[in-house]
Amino acid sequence: MAHVGSSTVPLPSIRKRPFSIKLIVMILIPLIIGVALGYGIAFATMGGGGVTTIPSEKTVYKIGFTLPLTGELSSIGKIWEKVVSLAMEDLNNEVASYGFNVEFNAVVLDDATSDEKALQNVQSLSQQGIRVIIGPAASSQVKVVKTYADNNKIVVISPSSTSPTLAIPNDFIFRTVGSDAGQARALSTLAYQEGARKPVVFFRNDEYGNAFAEFLEQNFREKGVTISKLSYQTGLSDYASEVATLASKVQSEGADSVILIAFDTDGANILSHAAESEILSKVRWFISEGPHGASELLAPAVGKFASKVKLYGTRPLFIANPLYEDFKTRMKEKFGIEPAVFCDNLYDAIKLAGWAILRAGSYDGEAIKNTLPEVAKTHYGPSGWAMFDAAGDKAQQDYGVWAIVSTTEGYQFKDVGVFERGSVVFTEQSYP
Amino acid sequence: MINFLQYMFFYIIFSLPLTLSYRTTKVINFVHANFITYGAYVAVFLHGMFGNTSILLAAIIAFLIVGSMAVLDNLLVFTPLQKRGSSPAMIMISSMGLWIAYRYILYMLTDIAHFYISKNFVSYGRITYADVPSITLGGVTLSQSFIAGMIAATIVILAIYLFLEKTRIGRAMRAISDNEVLAGISGIPKDILINLTWFICGGIVAIGGVLWTSFSGAITPEAGDSMILQVFTIGFIGGLVSLWRTGVGAIIISAMENIGIAFLNAFLGVPVSFRPFLTFATLITTLVLFPPLGAGGGLPYRFRKRRLLK
Repeated sequence: MAHVGSSTVPLPSIRKRPFSIKLIVMILIPLIIGVALGYGIAFATMGGGGVTTIPSEKTVYKIGFTLPLTGELSSIGKIWEKVVSLAMEDLNNEVASYGFNVEFNAVVLDDATSDEKALQNVQSLSQQGIRVIIGPAASSQVKVVKTYADNNKIVVISPSSTSPTLAIPNDFIFRTVGSDAGQARALSTLAYQEGARKPVVFFRNDEYGNAFAEFLEQNFREKGVTISKLSYQTGLSDYASEVATLASKVQSEGADSVILIAFDTDGANILSHAAESEILSKVRWFISEGPHGASELLAPAVGKFASKVKLYGTRPLFIANPLYEDFKTRMKEKFGIEPAVFCDNLYDAIKLAGWAILRAGSYDGEAIKNTLPEVAKTHYGPSGWAMFDAAGDKAQQDYGVWAIVSTTEGYQFKDVGVFERGSVVFTEQSYP
Repeated sequence: MINFLQYMFFYIIFSLPLTLSYRTTKVINFVHANFITYGAYVAVFLHGMFGNTSILLAAIIAFLIVGSMAVLDNLLVFTPLQKRGSSPAMIMISSMGLWIAYRYILYMLTDIAHFYISKNFVSYGRITYADVPSITLGGVTLSQSFIAGMIAATIVILAIYLFLEKTRIGRAMRAISDNEVLAGISGIPKDILINLTWFICGGIVAIGGVLWTSFSGAITPEAGDSMILQVFTIGFIGGLVSLWRTGVGAIIISAMENIGIAFLNAFLGVPVSFRPFLTFATLITTLVLFPPLGAGGGLPYRFRKRRLLK
């Protein structure tokens, strides 16, 4: 048979029929399977969505989660998944010990640290009848989700969104963490105390980073220091040229420190590249809470850099809280990992959600929105007092200082100080 | 400046195989991005699960694994489609489908690995290898990835050149790329050679991926995807046929990304986020000025030039 190029011309009609029958069969079978599956799933989740009542048995409430299991916050997201299972177990035990015949189930979806996916997740969770959703993690995601939540009366509790621009009263968004207005004060005090007089702020060009940088600028201005700002685009795979631009800016302005506002993946990438820059290894580095807990920062390249530049970061942490120590021990026992940033806020968010549902008496978004602040007023957990302020954000938030220290098991994150009464107090000396 | 050279090494390793694979197989291959990512992840898994710190071992294993992946692609997807008479556009779209499928398979693999070894493989930190030195020359520290990149890029260039020019198999490959029908008639086993081309191209890109793990601060399953724009632009500057023009393209794009954006930022205040824009602009300029496929002018460019001379 003649070969034209690398294709053979099929003979007409005789060869064609078996081909088309196969095609029809291949289309029909998945169609039938798909329809059958669809019916099955619809049947299983029917009956009021968020609430199923089986007579003389437990009432089951569903709590939705949209977590960043992939994307720029994936390292923290994976730790959060474990916190979720721990918290749900604790919640169910607590509720049973009070005599309620109730069980809470978690429905976890991954939002890839992307805004669109977060909105999609909230929409699909609400279509399943869920009225309380914990997450999303990033402030930009919360911004996108807000309109839908407000219109459809879904209570959204974010454990980690810290941008002050989302501190809006009377909406359905609650945040069990204080806004960055407070953290900017802590971070600027930390840097100032450590001798930073000409800092460059290198920040994410998104909701979180932009707001943080502005507040840092304000706080530094109050101390009489002018800062330079350099933003970087988020979502890139590598930041080597951004770091090079940062290095030339540091050199040209004679800066003495860099303040980095980042998430996990970009933070680790930037720090690794900075470790190779002579200029950037000579200045002090300070960092926000974003990358805390991410194992990429414990790579030897970054760990060495951290001790060289005496890297300090701030993060939301309730000072001297025995419940936090307890939480830390249990996480270590059960999963073998240290809790990362916002794990305590997440834990309390879940507890609050459960109790708010019970106090509301019905699984209704409006009712839960009203009972949530009431429950929070008297709740004390690993993240401290859960009370909300008028905008639905955590009213009392302390900040701690962390560092990356070298131990026998490699590099670890360590809380080395606290921000108390307007100044930073170090509880231990981490860098010799 | 160091960054410019570093990226140049990477781009050479990533884009030369793309040109080589296109001109021999006529498939615009989007799975190229996944070759990079899978190469990187072979190194990541070896490091995370087995504690491997030898870059040489990782490179060899990555070469083999991703090379076989490429051959499988060809055997299972591209060749059957070509036999049914699909147009090149259809095959390109099928490669896009593979690209997406491979990405999510990798997500699944990282999740499974996470389940067993509770490390986060979806975002993995930089790997410091034990068998590549980091040299300090006259006050400038050349990092591990720089040395490894330099060695690897040089070896790749030499190897491809020697292979294509000096060996019979290499010359046979060039014959297929120039004129398939004649090559087939003169007794060259086309299918075997095409599979071999895929194997080599996939393998070389995988080595680049392994090197990427020693350079990048965080490796995710989307690592290759973000570089695919630059790699294809470089390929188009080389017309997807001419290897040395591809090399020139690598130098140009690397220069623009690192030195160019630094100048623009320092003197014109252009924000650094414009970096991908520069690459896009180059891509569009190249395609518009030199149709149909970039600076090389498409296949067979050698013959086209001769016809013009007449």
